[in-house]
Amino acid sequence: MVQYGGDEVAALVVDMGASSLRAGYAGDDTPKAIIPTSYGYITEPASGGDVTMGEAGEDGQPARPAAKMYIGQNGPSMWRANMEVANPIQNGMIHDFAPIPPLISHALRDVMRCNPTEHPVLVTEPAWNTPANRERMAEIMFEEFQVPAFYIANTGVLNAFAAGKGSALVVDIGQSMASVTPVVDGFVLRKGLQYSALPQLVHAHAKHLLTNPTQHRPAIQLLPHQLIASKMPVEPAQPPKFTLREDRMAKTTDSWRIWAESREVDEWIQSVAGVLDQGWNEQAVMQRPPRQYEFPTGFNTYFGPERFSVGELYFNHSMIADRNDNLPRPLPSLITACLGNCDPDLRQNLLGNLVVTGGGSLFGGLVDRLGNELGRHFQVKIHAPGNPIERRYGGWLGGSILASLGTFHQLWISKEEWQDHGKAIVGQRCK
Amino acid sequence: MSGASAADVRSILSLPPAGSPSTQSQQPLKKSASTGKPNGISRELFALIGPSMASLPESSKPRLKQKPNLSGTQKVRWERRSFKNPARKDSLELNHWVKATDDPNEEYFWAKYNAQSNIYTYSQDEYTRLLEDSEWSKEETDYLFDVVREYDLRWFIIHDRYNFPGGPERSMEDLKDRYFSVCRKLVRSRPWPGDETSRTNLLSSFQFDKERETTRKKYLASLASRTPAQIAEEEALFIEIKRLEQTERRFKRDRDELLRTLAGIESGLDGLPIDDEGPMGSGDTKQKKRRHGSEWESASAGPSNIISLGTPVPKKGQQSAKASVPSPEEDILHCIHRNSAPAPSNLPVTKNAHTPVYLRSFKIPVPKPAGLAPKITAALAELGINHTRLVMPTKDNCEKLESLLDAAAALVDLKRAVDRVDQEIRTARMRLESKSSSASVAGDAAETPMDVDQDETGTERDADGEKEEDSVRAQSVVSVRSGRARKASSRRSMSISSVDTAAPVATRATKRLKK
Repeated sequence: MVQYGGDEVAALVVDMGASSLRAGYAGDDTPKAIIPTSYGYITEPASGGDVTMGEAGEDGQPARPAAKMYIGQNGPSMWRANMEVANPIQNGMIHDFAPIPPLISHALRDVMRCNPTEHPVLVTEPAWNTPANRERMAEIMFEEFQVPAFYIANTGVLNAFAAGKGSALVVDIGQSMASVTPVVDGFVLRKGLQYSALPQLVHAHAKHLLTNPTQHRPAIQLLPHQLIASKMPVEPAQPPKFTLREDRMAKTTDSWRIWAESREVDEWIQSVAGVLDQGWNEQAVMQRPPRQYEFPTGFNTYFGPERFSVGELYFNHSMIADRNDNLPRPLPSLITACLGNCDPDLRQNLLGNLVVTGGGSLFGGLVDRLGNELGRHFQVKIHAPGNPIERRYGGWLGGSILASLGTFHQLWISKEEWQDHGKAIVGQRCK
Repeated sequence: MSGASAADVRSILSLPPAGSPSTQSQQPLKKSASTGKPNGISRELFALIGPSMASLPESSKPRLKQKPNLSGTQKVRWERRSFKNPARKDSLELNHWVKATDDPNEEYFWAKYNAQSNIYTYSQDEYTRLLEDSEWSKEETDYLFDVVREYDLRWFIIHDRYNFPGGPERSMEDLKDRYFSVCRKLVRSRPWPGDETSRTNLLSSFQFDKERETTRKKYLASLASRTPAQIAEEEALFIEIKRLEQTERRFKRDRDELLRTLAGIESGLDGLPIDDEGPMGSGDTKQKKRRHGSEWESASAGPSNIISLGTPVPKKGQQSAKASVPSPEEDILHCIHRNSAPAPSNLPVTKNAHTPVYLRSFKIPVPKPAGLAPKITAALAELGINHTRLVMPTKDNCEKLESLLDAAAALVDLKRAVDRVDQEIRTARMRLESKSSSASVAGDAAETPMDVDQDETGTERDADGEKEEDSVRAQSVVSVRSGRARKASSRRSMSISSVDTAAPVATRATKRLKK
């Protein structure tokens, strides 16, 4: 106990990202519950179902008709007639708090089978979260889940902790946002924080590539397998032979369709796309072996240069636009901007502790490329966990470490303090 | 078979009915079977002899080795307890697992790590008396101290979070300067309980030089904002310097070796073995020698690729043609001075006899007899000449300096001789006086310095008495009197030298006296 400084009080850690919500016990090395943040719902204008969103009308939010929600592994991914899909996270922040309690409740009560009133809960937030947002989160935890104690911690800091560092430059590439966070002694330097919607650009570019025809292949139909009744094997780059489930087509909502298509694109990116580790080079691209990928329609082909042009967007935009300030900034410019806003004395320390994390950083060759790009200007030491679980759930892991430390337990906001001080205590305690 | 019920199967296998738990009923059965057989003997033996065997002594029962206690310790009971953290101000109780043996009233282990940093505070009075600053209001100073306390003197974070509404933009140096200056003033003004050194130590820990920090940061920033081209240039320059240093060293080494070879040949020492343990002391001597030889051959074939020396030394091939005609006009034209040929070689030709090339400034003449050197230097200094620093060590100047030094040495030598003679005259005169007075007053000898030694050992007195007779050897007497412990040999040599120089002067002086 004394050696590692831990004292476990069975705290729960809830880490909510754009793609998934992770929850588990502090002290574990992997989250117990991983559920998609996207949820499906069916609006029933007349009468509510068994799980109704009664709280939707509160807090001045536009009143919504009662809806039945489908959350979890069998939530959005199962086709249901007239089911819409929504995601409460926008640009890394929660913009719609209505589905948050059901999501957390599903993770804690239905998946983990625990009673939140018995455990202190640590929740994560992005570094650019607003005070109002974190106070709302505290309110949900105290008022709806009746937790005995609560804390909200920054993902940047937690990622640094997961890498075993108190001071680090955390490069976090998630599903919707890429951020560069300077962390010093467990505090975020807010003036140095940089973030951009880079992963969204990469996603959009990949979708654009796939849905437009090239000279080698026709445009690809991004139909999910839920809508395909049968298919025949075809030769690579030949038009697919499949039959649609016409019965479902009529009752498929647009939002579900978009969600399903973006999932197809994500899967294509995750299995095929990569980054050249030495910068863009036509010859080098041609030398790389093409990769075969089959879509749910049965269409399959080999992807050569395309798969690298997707990843290249993380480092420069010259491929899609010559000069466009509206595009999210690429990683090297984010890092330089961040370092420029930090004290020159810190630069050495931060660059010596560069932590690359987030599911988006699992792009093949991304860490090597980042090291090469930065190595031209600075002396960098990159820490990127080789274990994909640690890379994807770094924020959760850091929270698990933090909430199981003996010295941390004085920082919890207790229910008593919440009742005495109100919302102000969140900003005072969680610096 | 299909007709058989479960109960039939059970009865065939003589199992108990389904309702009763089988484990409970089987255990007593086993026990009763095993009670018949004593523990010590095997089943086969028991079957042979049956239950009617003679009772065996229980002590013969084989004992197994005791099982090792692998866990090492006894079983530890843990229990879940709620605890209060004294570092917290509220009554939150969390639960954790602890050993049941632990004291439940013990203070929470981790509370002691809640260390509070010691931040100075000041009163309104102190502020108005000491801490007024035109650039800082009291409110902003208070705010600064609050932030410093909140973030425990972590300046990077303090600077990041510092946001005084309505205040100007503050750099980290501004904040540090204000904070440390306030602390310094407070420490100086307040009564200090400890000793003075601890106070100065504390004061020096609050020392902050804003200007220096700012320039340092600026320099750091400029260093970081170098363009890649600048960095590359800097690196290239650095490598170039290293390369130059290396070539210079190599050049110097080669030059030394060449000089040895070439000058050695010129002075007729071409058979001289090269000093292999040269200044570099490198190991590959053989290779060096070989390389040297080849260099020499190429040099003799074409003189262009040999390094140019200060004085062009005639090469071996050219020497045979040119040696007969050194052409003095050309030498004068090029300010070349040729050293006179080395002494005719009845001496063996060795390395030591050979003098390599040197700079004249390295061999400025020094005062010759080492014993006289300080006096010569003093004499020259009287004239305002510093012989160690020759501004223009041309050959002529060196010669002039040498002659000057010789002259000065001769002068000093002469002065010495004069002093010596003067002394002799004085002693001779004294002796003369004592002789004349001894004639008149007997026993007056005690006054002469010689007779102070009268009560010393006889031999010495004898020697003294013996010398007293000879007036010419008075010098040696003086020397004996001044340094009595000297050995006889040195005394003799002294007297010899005095005979050469002093004798004629002394006689002349005595003659003058007699007149």
